[in-house]
Amino acid sequence: MIAITIDNRNVLAEPQDTILQAASRNGIRIPTLCYHKRLSPIGSCRICMVEVTGMDKPVPACTTPVAEGMTVETRTERVMELRRTVIRMMLINHPMECHVCGASGSCALQDLAYEYGVAAHEFGEIPVNRRVKPYATPLIPYDPNKCVLCLRCVHACQEIKGIDALSIALRGSLAHIQGERSRCISCGECWQVCPVGALTQAVTDPPTRIHQMEAVTTTCGYCGVGCQMELRVMDGKVWGVTAPDDPEGPNNGSLCAKGRFGFDFIGHPDRLTVPLIREGGRFREASWEEALAYAARKLKEICASHGPDAVMGFSSARCTNEENYLFQKFLRAGVGTNNVDHCARL
Amino acid sequence: MNRFFFSSWGRDPDKTGPWEEKGLLFPARFDDDREIRAFMGWQGIICRDPSVNMVDMCREYIKRAQQESCGQCTPCRMGTRILGDILERICQGRGTGADLPALKSLARQIADASRCDIGQTAPIPLLHALRHFRDQFEKAVREAAPIPRGTYLFKVTAPCTSACPSHLDIPGYVEAVAQGRYEAALKIIRQDCCLPGVVGRVCVRPCEANCRRGLADEPIAVKTLKRFVADYELDHGKRPLFPEIARKKQRIAIVGAGPAGLACAYYLGLRGYPTTIYEALSEPGGMAAVGIPDYRLPRHILRHEAHLVERLGCEIRYGIQVGKDISMDQILETGAAAIFLASGAHQALRMRCQGEDAGYEGFMTGVVFLREAAFGRRPLSGEKMVVIGGGNVAIDCVRTAVRLGFAEAVLVYRRTEAEMPADPEEIRDAKDEKVAFHFLTQPIKILAKKGKVTGLECLRMVLGEPDASGRRRPVPVEGSNFVIQTDAVVPAIGQACDLSYIPPESGIPLTRWKTVAADPVTFQVDGRPIFAGGDCFYGPLTLIAAIASGKNAARFMAKYLEKGKCLPEERDVMEGLIQKIGVYDPQEAPPIIGGRARIHPKTLDPEMRTASFDEVERGFCAAEALQEASRCLRCSRLALAAL
Repeated sequence: MIAITIDNRNVLAEPQDTILQAASRNGIRIPTLCYHKRLSPIGSCRICMVEVTGMDKPVPACTTPVAEGMTVETRTERVMELRRTVIRMMLINHPMECHVCGASGSCALQDLAYEYGVAAHEFGEIPVNRRVKPYATPLIPYDPNKCVLCLRCVHACQEIKGIDALSIALRGSLAHIQGERSRCISCGECWQVCPVGALTQAVTDPPTRIHQMEAVTTTCGYCGVGCQMELRVMDGKVWGVTAPDDPEGPNNGSLCAKGRFGFDFIGHPDRLTVPLIREGGRFREASWEEALAYAARKLKEICASHGPDAVMGFSSARCTNEENYLFQKFLRAGVGTNNVDHCARL
Repeated sequence: MNRFFFSSWGRDPDKTGPWEEKGLLFPARFDDDREIRAFMGWQGIICRDPSVNMVDMCREYIKRAQQESCGQCTPCRMGTRILGDILERICQGRGTGADLPALKSLARQIADASRCDIGQTAPIPLLHALRHFRDQFEKAVREAAPIPRGTYLFKVTAPCTSACPSHLDIPGYVEAVAQGRYEAALKIIRQDCCLPGVVGRVCVRPCEANCRRGLADEPIAVKTLKRFVADYELDHGKRPLFPEIARKKQRIAIVGAGPAGLACAYYLGLRGYPTTIYEALSEPGGMAAVGIPDYRLPRHILRHEAHLVERLGCEIRYGIQVGKDISMDQILETGAAAIFLASGAHQALRMRCQGEDAGYEGFMTGVVFLREAAFGRRPLSGEKMVVIGGGNVAIDCVRTAVRLGFAEAVLVYRRTEAEMPADPEEIRDAKDEKVAFHFLTQPIKILAKKGKVTGLECLRMVLGEPDASGRRRPVPVEGSNFVIQTDAVVPAIGQACDLSYIPPESGIPLTRWKTVAADPVTFQVDGRPIFAGGDCFYGPLTLIAAIASGKNAARFMAKYLEKGKCLPEERDVMEGLIQKIGVYDPQEAPPIIGGRARIHPKTLDPEMRTASFDEVERGFCAAEALQEASRCLRCSRLALAAL
């Protein structure tokens, strides 16, 4: 550990810490926007600028390593005013219509504007004609006016997913995110990390903001990985899926296209909710007791007349590991055959 | 004559410090016809004409900065736009009194908070102008009359880019690597260097010596990053996509398939010109192939990159020595529209040591020794070899000797290690391979018995006063003669070009250093359809300089063939001007806190190395490349000149 001073407090930091990590380790808050714990430091927003004794200019806390004896000030007049200026710049062309924005309440820009008391378009608007642009996937609309170009999306696409479908198009004030449809896998990682309302999802039209809905933590059923996810539920309906904020479980806070956007089956009218038994070429509804008894009787008959190897079991990747284990045990020990297989993935 | 001169170059706009006349370094004239009325850049303003409107010049400078802003940080992306809009308003005669303080405070904040040097330096000339030319701004607001636009020349450079003979966009491709866009990085490299795998291995890297990060901790490993993307392409079976080019009819002949010749063919090919290269050896690469051993530059890399040149409409005719197998006149008779001379420095310099002309068995010049070894032969026999010299070629010879099975390889140099021109990394590698170094030793006589080398008589030296090169001159110690027993002696003290293939009646002017006299910018000889580059123009120089000459000669040859003449372009002149004032400032304290060490590529274990000619230095893995590339400070520099 090395000793540094932050805001007149003597604190200890790991030698490989950045100023931001050392501050948060010691309970000192430095405001951030582009920083995301699952991504390498980006350094694009310039909100976390702090002053370090001996340096002429402020430095970004998220990318600057600590050094023994360093003295850091996080709230000098100079950096507070810098932050205000940067927030004002981010609000240029930003529609001031938080009441109709899906991110309101979970928006980093809104929070910063509140904290630093930036109320309006103080720099005015810059006439660049920008509408919602085509993006890498039709599942996610992109609004360049709301975008603050923090580049979390670009980094997530590259660092977490290794896809690299996003990049910056054009330069200066015309810069915006552009997506490459041929590369994009519609995983929605960009949407998950977007700190503002620039990226939204086009799968459902929720009656309220998804982040305000009840979060039901569950395990994704699409494959055997066991990704942890949160179903966003209101009025008994699933309106969206998010990954838990704290990287837990095998997915570390990440999801794939199926887990994140493939949830409409849950409330779909075609979904089977009771067992069906075919009689005379037509299905009729049955109780679980009846259906299981029927299947058991038929299996026993087949085993008796043709031997257990006339039976084969095929299970689904939607089942958990435990369920699949029981399934093969049932076939091997119960039925008496090794004819068992699995669809491996969906 | 009391001429107007103002310079705030290098001064803090807030302080009235010592008046440093750094600005006087900047030339007053652009070319024979035009003066430089004012210059704006990353360290201030230089003005020689009081009629230049600084408000308009600031408008132009900030507008250019906004166009260069990559969009990756808020203050530069939006801030330069706001500044530009305010300046535009003032220039249109619609400025207000509140605009000037707003410009000043915003400019300062953008310089404080931006991520890279475009945003950090773009407001600097504006701040200087607001301080030193405030009356012009106040007048513009007061009179509220539109200000006409001046004509300016704009250029983007960087300390590394400026130092590189071929001016590669290093910040551009290093950033592409940091973003994982390897093919995009390679595309940027190929704009100015067609042999990325070669240069990525053996470049002398002036960029790294001029890297600003080096002032905070260590320079960026630019060379190894270049190699990384070249290897990535090769290892993944990818090939560069060349645009469809309409083939031109005129064919251009090139003498020598070395780096200069290949570069010329490559960049002519991109312009649609077919080329024919006459190469004396059976290999592409020239001195890079037979002068640089395989453990530093594997031959397949050269062959691969030469093959890419062939894809662009270049025919390489191997085993044809110009002057012997075909004459210059015969080349012109084949219908070549122009000739590019790019022969290498294959001739060894004499060391003025008794016995070097006696033709002893066991004596061979370094150039011949390396060439023989490059073709897989062991040209000298015995157990012990002495190499004379202190440059990279001497190190190449002695390390090759180790690999050819000489039990003892000794390097003799007349000064000390500190004065050795060889790359320190090469010296380190040679020591790892158990090469013995004899410093302050001057050979005076090669000893032989029955026509076969038996030893080398030497004198001890001491260092005296510095000579013209700044290095201390070695002075012999009287009577200190001693003998090193050896089976082989290889001098490697320098090279020269053999230009005997150029007949005197051709009228091609030669210099007294045995090089072709050509224009240093256009590489044209005497306004004729003959151009020269690489070692035969510079004398033995670096690989990247050879590539640069080939690249630029291709541009000017195309111009010559299309327009009938070629003169340096404005961007060439601007480049030279900027270099006068210096893009890299070794006195500067960069505004970052260092401590992120450079990543050094792994090298083959010394015991493993000497058994073969396998490549010693390994490249970066992807994680190392990303980490190293992310250390770049992106020191882009914007320069604007009013003519």
